[in-house]
Amino acid sequence: MKLGRRQSGAAARSVSYSSSPLLASKTPPWRSKLLVALVGLGSCLLIGRAVTIQIVNNDFYLEQGEKRYAHELELPASRGRITDRHGALLATSVSVPSVWAIPKDVQATREQIRQLAKLLALPAAELEKKLADPNARFAWLKRQIDEPVWQQVQALGIKGIYQTREYRRKYPEGEAAAHLVGFTDVEDHGQEGIELAFQKDLQGRDGSRMVVKDRLGRVVEAIGDQVDPAHGLDITLAVDAKVQFFAYQRVRDAVAEHKAKAGSVVVLDAQSGEVLALANYPSFNPAERRNLTGAQLRNRALTDTFEPGSTMKPFVVAWALESGRVTPTTPIQTAPGSITITGSTIRDAHPHGVLTVAEVIQKSSNVGTVKLAMQMDRREMWELYSQVGFGQKPQLQFPGAVTGRLRPYKSWRPIEQATMSYGYGLSTSLFQLARAYTVFARDGEVIPASMLQQTAPPTGLRVIKPETARAVREMLRLAAGPGGTAPKAQTIGYSVGGKTGTAHKQEGKAYTTDKYRAWFVGMAPIENPRIIVAVMIDEPNNGVHYGGDVAAPVFSQVVQQTLRMMGVAPDLDVRPQIVTTAVQESF
Amino acid sequence: MTRLNMILVLALLASSLYLVRTAYDSRRLFAELDKAKNEAARLDTESKRLEAEREAQATSLRVERTARERLAMRTATPAVTVYVHDDDVAAGAAK
Repeated sequence: MKLGRRQSGAAARSVSYSSSPLLASKTPPWRSKLLVALVGLGSCLLIGRAVTIQIVNNDFYLEQGEKRYAHELELPASRGRITDRHGALLATSVSVPSVWAIPKDVQATREQIRQLAKLLALPAAELEKKLADPNARFAWLKRQIDEPVWQQVQALGIKGIYQTREYRRKYPEGEAAAHLVGFTDVEDHGQEGIELAFQKDLQGRDGSRMVVKDRLGRVVEAIGDQVDPAHGLDITLAVDAKVQFFAYQRVRDAVAEHKAKAGSVVVLDAQSGEVLALANYPSFNPAERRNLTGAQLRNRALTDTFEPGSTMKPFVVAWALESGRVTPTTPIQTAPGSITITGSTIRDAHPHGVLTVAEVIQKSSNVGTVKLAMQMDRREMWELYSQVGFGQKPQLQFPGAVTGRLRPYKSWRPIEQATMSYGYGLSTSLFQLARAYTVFARDGEVIPASMLQQTAPPTGLRVIKPETARAVREMLRLAAGPGGTAPKAQTIGYSVGGKTGTAHKQEGKAYTTDKYRAWFVGMAPIENPRIIVAVMIDEPNNGVHYGGDVAAPVFSQVVQQTLRMMGVAPDLDVRPQIVTTAVQESF
Repeated sequence: MTRLNMILVLALLASSLYLVRTAYDSRRLFAELDKAKNEAARLDTESKRLEAEREAQATSLRVERTARERLAMRTATPAVTVYVHDDDVAAGAAK
């Protein structure tokens, strides 16, 4: 500073201001004009920019501004419920807390973490790992926990732990209806069963609304229209939860009693084709997500095929009657208990002598059936089998229903036609078998089976005459009676009819000698059937393995209970066991 | 003239203050409405949850076990059932 002043002092002494050559020189006029022009251009640019931002392209900043105060709130739609025919819940969604954290905000002592881990049923190490990353802004701790657990978590008072509401599926009937109802994944998408089949209807559409929030996070104003959530539709099944439960219980007990591998039951309403119950054992709890793997998920009644064996005989006999080749009393020579067709011999389990056609069914004679079948054209047999649904994909709104196997008749060799008459060389699921029996129960019409309640009586496909169907029902009644193959199918008060089946299991290319499959298909009451019940027990391993010993008792119990629950009056006389002598009330 | 202007200024002032108040009220009421709606939604989910809970308490398994064990009930069979037909009822009523 001092130096500067000295210098300027020196200059003041030597320079004369009035005659400075700098002042004398004239500024050229273009300089001022250029400046004015530059400033003018600058303002024009600014105005232009302002116009583009404010008027022409105003959306960007409007949007940015809106983001500062407007919030979009999601209005979650709930998934539809699944109920049985009487309105009992089979699956419903409830809103439950899901716990998440902002790891960098979490401040907790070791003890608190330990308690949190215990509450959430997580290993403490895993929880610590989740909370360890100091930069993470979000981490799920545990999704879909119970309400009381969340309250306990809140009580721990750990900072940085929050909840969101999510819907969780509840299955009140649990494992009894698990294969039927199916389950959903954590995102609420159907994965199996009805949950998958009706995913589109059950799934709702989330709604949304735009709001303005104030400093305290309160909603103070709505912007625009609210998009209401579309809740999923409720599905009412034809299933009766009580019948379903009972059927499941019985098959579970039977599997345990016979040390079997698995078992299935199908109960159809013979008049409407509705599925009243469809149960398999082993089953699973659809609410426990970690169990949802493996063979227990298989809906065996629909997905497992097997050779229907003796249960096919009534169809062959029905066609023999229908085509006028025989009457129920026509005698057939089955001695000596074997028949040879193109070099292969077919045997009966026990040799019989001369049997009537009705007795062929009652005693389940292979030889008798083969003799009837060999009178038929192979095409006739094929048409009959496919009309009642063998080798056809079931028209059922349900995932995973298999087609079974029925080869085209042109490739049948005579021996194959013979074996197919008693149920070998083709395959079917238990469900297909039950449905095929509607042809006898419905007086010759085969009707489609349905998972949903039917409002109108179904239109059936006529396969045989009503008289023929009635004649076969009579034979089925004999088969399930004393002297037949399954007297254990009898119930108290209701007449029943049905056919047993027992087969060696096929493993690879050969039949095993020690593994069996036993089943029974029947209907009740036999005069005017209301239900068809099919039972299958896989690998019974406790001494007995015949369908009449293993599957028929299950059939009997299921029929008894189902008809009672449906309020069907017994058609057989029952010796009353009512012992109370109540005082007659007078009105 | 001044007097009229004064009156107009006062009126304007009053009206503006009233506007501020109305705007405030409307926001407050809206917030309350929103809170009530949230409460309604919460109660709705709660009722659904309780309904599911009730259903879970009334599963066939539990009903049967309770009936058997606590109430000592047995399954009815046709042998211990009296079937009443509609015509019997009509005849009985006529008596």
